[in-house]
Amino acid sequence: MDVNILLANFPYLVTIVLFAMGTLIVLTQTNLIKKVIGINIMETAIFLFFIIVGNIQGGVPPIFDPQMPDALYINPLPSCLMLTGIVVSFSVTAFALALIVKLYIFYGTICAPNFMKLK
Amino acid sequence: MELVSKLPFLCVISTLIASFCMPVLARWKKEFCAPLATFITGAVFATALFVGYHVSHGNVIHFPVSGWPPPWGIEIVVDTLSSMMLMLISGICFLILIYSFHAIKHELENNVVGWYYTAFLLCMAGMIGLVITNDIFNMYVFIEVTGIGAVALVASKGTRLATEAALKYLLLATIGSGFVLFGIGFIYMMTGNLNLNYIAMELSEVKDSYPFLIWTSLSFLVVGFGVKSALFPLHLWLPDAHSSTASPSSAVLSSLVVKVYIIAFLKILLIAFGLEIFHETYIRSLILVLSVVAMLAGSFFAFVQIELKRRLAYSTVAQIGYVFLGIGLGTPWGLTAGMLHILVHACMKTCLFLTAGAVYYQTGRKKVNQFAGLGYKMPITMGAFTVASFSMVGIPLFGGFISKYGLALGSLEADLPLLILVIILSGLLNATYYFPIIGQAYFSLEEGHEHEEKTFQKDKIPLSMLVPIAILAVCILYLGIFPGGVLDFINQTVVKLL
Amino acid sequence: MHDYVTRVVFRYMLLFVLLYGFYVIMHGHLSPGGGFSGGMIVGLGLLLYILIFGQLWKPNFRQMIIDLAIIFVGIGGILEVIKFLIPHEHGPVGIPGTLFSVGIMSVANFGISILVTSTILAIYYMISEEA
Repeated sequence: MDVNILLANFPYLVTIVLFAMGTLIVLTQTNLIKKVIGINIMETAIFLFFIIVGNIQGGVPPIFDPQMPDALYINPLPSCLMLTGIVVSFSVTAFALALIVKLYIFYGTICAPNFMKLK
Repeated sequence: MELVSKLPFLCVISTLIASFCMPVLARWKKEFCAPLATFITGAVFATALFVGYHVSHGNVIHFPVSGWPPPWGIEIVVDTLSSMMLMLISGICFLILIYSFHAIKHELENNVVGWYYTAFLLCMAGMIGLVITNDIFNMYVFIEVTGIGAVALVASKGTRLATEAALKYLLLATIGSGFVLFGIGFIYMMTGNLNLNYIAMELSEVKDSYPFLIWTSLSFLVVGFGVKSALFPLHLWLPDAHSSTASPSSAVLSSLVVKVYIIAFLKILLIAFGLEIFHETYIRSLILVLSVVAMLAGSFFAFVQIELKRRLAYSTVAQIGYVFLGIGLGTPWGLTAGMLHILVHACMKTCLFLTAGAVYYQTGRKKVNQFAGLGYKMPITMGAFTVASFSMVGIPLFGGFISKYGLALGSLEADLPLLILVIILSGLLNATYYFPIIGQAYFSLEEGHEHEEKTFQKDKIPLSMLVPIAILAVCILYLGIFPGGVLDFINQTVVKLL
Repeated sequence: MHDYVTRVVFRYMLLFVLLYGFYVIMHGHLSPGGGFSGGMIVGLGLLLYILIFGQLWKPNFRQMIIDLAIIFVGIGGILEVIKFLIPHEHGPVGIPGTLFSVGIMSVANFGISILVTSTILAIYYMISEEA
């Protein structure tokens, strides 16, 4: 494989690695808080991916300036989408933490194998 | 712009507003929650019927939200598929809410009733939004709304098992929606559009330059929607979540929530990618293999369960296999049967879960070996249970037969005749775990009561629980005996999609 | 939390955190920033203050915050509905660097920031009362 292709697509590689790491953390860690952290890493990777998709090399932030009507702007839509994504991720995290607090009241621990008695 | 085009969006909005009114109302007057929620859902059902009548005459509703035209703004499109799902969702939710009047007081603690209705309406709004939107990012947002509502429904029971199951569901569902979002990201990367029709136009031009990205994005979507809708090896959260919560919540989760994700997947697959790409990639064989495994393995797992609701939950895993089989076949009959199975299974599974709740309400029994003599104690409930299980097995004159027959025709169309054997085998497996319950209910008596005469008594459950069960049983019979109208309606969709 | 360092450092930092939050809120309409991010910063600053110096508000006031969050979410929802259903022209483009040049946008940003702040505090209070 050509190294140059790899270097040119380096940001995408980072997002994939981060995504895989996050998913692995959610699935393998036993501590519930760490699972929630894994979810956050996973979603951050997706946000990063969208932002990279919207980027244009040499573009400026899309703030309309009447003095420069034909400047090259980057694509603002993925950033806007990710604002919604961040809100969703925030609410999921809050919900998961609330459920973990409730489980802590029931069992006195947040380590999953100690109580996951479901079949 | 005439009024009817605004109605579907108004359904989502009014349900959402009602959902957020519930906690405030619960603090002020707790007993008003149930009537208000039922009223709103009934109004949405009436609206959905009106929209369905409008759409069945060949009209398609296009509504640009907030006045922005499609490539830029969010567009709402209600065609026959969406209007069918709209009617199904609002109708089933209406029946379940009527059932909840008394059942909820029995199964949930008093202080969470307001939150139960909040979660229920939130989930319903998410589902309606998911089936009517034509914008894939909007779809993701509604997927999350539905997911959070569904998890809240599971958690509202408040017991240890329910909380654990809710957390498990939340974590896995979030992974699933993460995968879906990644797939959407790939689609956006290839086409630069978020509207399904524009994606389709763009993809037909650029699909040769992105041979790998297309199947990468499709695989992400299959895994994501597979987790969300419990396709077999990814079903791990489903039995816990669906069996540990209250019966009305299990009914809505099992009959609707897992299905709307399939509808969303179907829309992305058929409208955005098109059947041509679907047949070219390996995704089709993947879906076929997974669905066959799901149909058999789900039934095997269901067979060994002792608790009734757990058995029903595993049965859902098997039935999801049927729907995915219909999609995987990709032929007109296969798709028609898959969609019909979504409809029929929603009626059957709701009926079964509601009867399970009714049995628990009257007798407090949860295990499958405790049904002796119930056929005479609660004749209407067990009658509905019998109708629903016969339909589940696929006996002629019941709704399930039509969809299985359609699947068999579809597999002949797709030149895969061996699949008919799998369908029959799965039907027989269904019989092995439903018929013992029915046989016990009618042909054996409780211990200590062996010498009593078998006389039919009246069901001792409130009328508000009995009526929805009876209506659902009648619906199943209707779908089995007169499937023509519904099949025509679905056929219109399939012809348009192919 | 009885750590001396955090108490001393945060006593001086709180003002800057809140100031930065308001800075972000005021920039929402024409330049990077916004009600959500700014409200988040203000809310997290207040949350850190509560975590370090203990509960500073009476239970009645806490309840009021939760109610405020619910009411704001509701009113915001209804406003969004009106915005979504009625097709409308977009307002003036505005002049970069001025606060009230784009009609209702900057006011709406303040509303959103209050909503986000009160929601964060409400979530914290709900979870901490449960535990």
